Amino acid sequence: MSTVCVLAPVVVGSWPVISAAIFGAAAGMGFATVEAHEAGSDVRAESSIDIDVPNSEVISDEIGHGQSIVIERDGVRAEFTHDDRGGCRICMTGRASKRELERIGQELAGRVVQQFAYHKLMSELKQRRFSVVDEKVGADQSIQVRVRLS
Amino acid sequence: MKKPEIDISIDKDGQVRIKVHGVSGEECLKLTDAIREIVGIEVSRQLTTEYYGTPGGVRIDAQVQQRN
Repeated sequence: MSTVCVLAPVVVGSWPVISAAIFGAAAGMGFATVEAHEAGSDVRAESSIDIDVPNSEVISDEIGHGQSIVIERDGVRAEFTHDDRGGCRICMTGRASKRELERIGQELAGRVVQQFAYHKLMSELKQRRFSVVDEKVGADQSIQVRVRLS
Repeated sequence: MKKPEIDISIDKDGQVRIKVHGVSGEECLKLTDAIREIVGIEVSRQLTTEYYGTPGGVRIDAQVQQRN
């Protein structure tokens, strides 16, 4: 190797693009998507906490304005929204301590960033004539990809 | 000629680690910068021996001491 670099992704995209990362993260962590009117049917809110998705900015458009995505798992609900300032936020509620909700929310936020970075990298590298040589998911849930310039 | 390869690891917290292989010097920096532009903010960067030239080369560090 000749360079080792660590990067923190910036999650900037339209609501549909960020939604795709949210659905990917939810599926990977065993959360199920629920319709807004069904949300909370099985979830009794004992605590709640808000988590920001780091370095995120939802580009405002008519399609995503005012929309939210609600996912649930084992009595814990996460609602993804974006405000007028553009940041993506997760409101965690459910039958768990505040500390536990924060842990799950932080993990969800991380996995959204992971999914976003993966799809952005793969799409951009393909355009720059890189091809995937190897790809796997590690035991620590990291996504490992080797690409080669064609 | 060996083609450049990049190992990319995306941690579950979203942090991206890249290792560039098969190129040295300015070409290596160009590739690293291209990935940074796609991903976002650079947290840290380390140059390894391969960056400075041919793998397997010998580097000699010497010190000269002045005698009185």
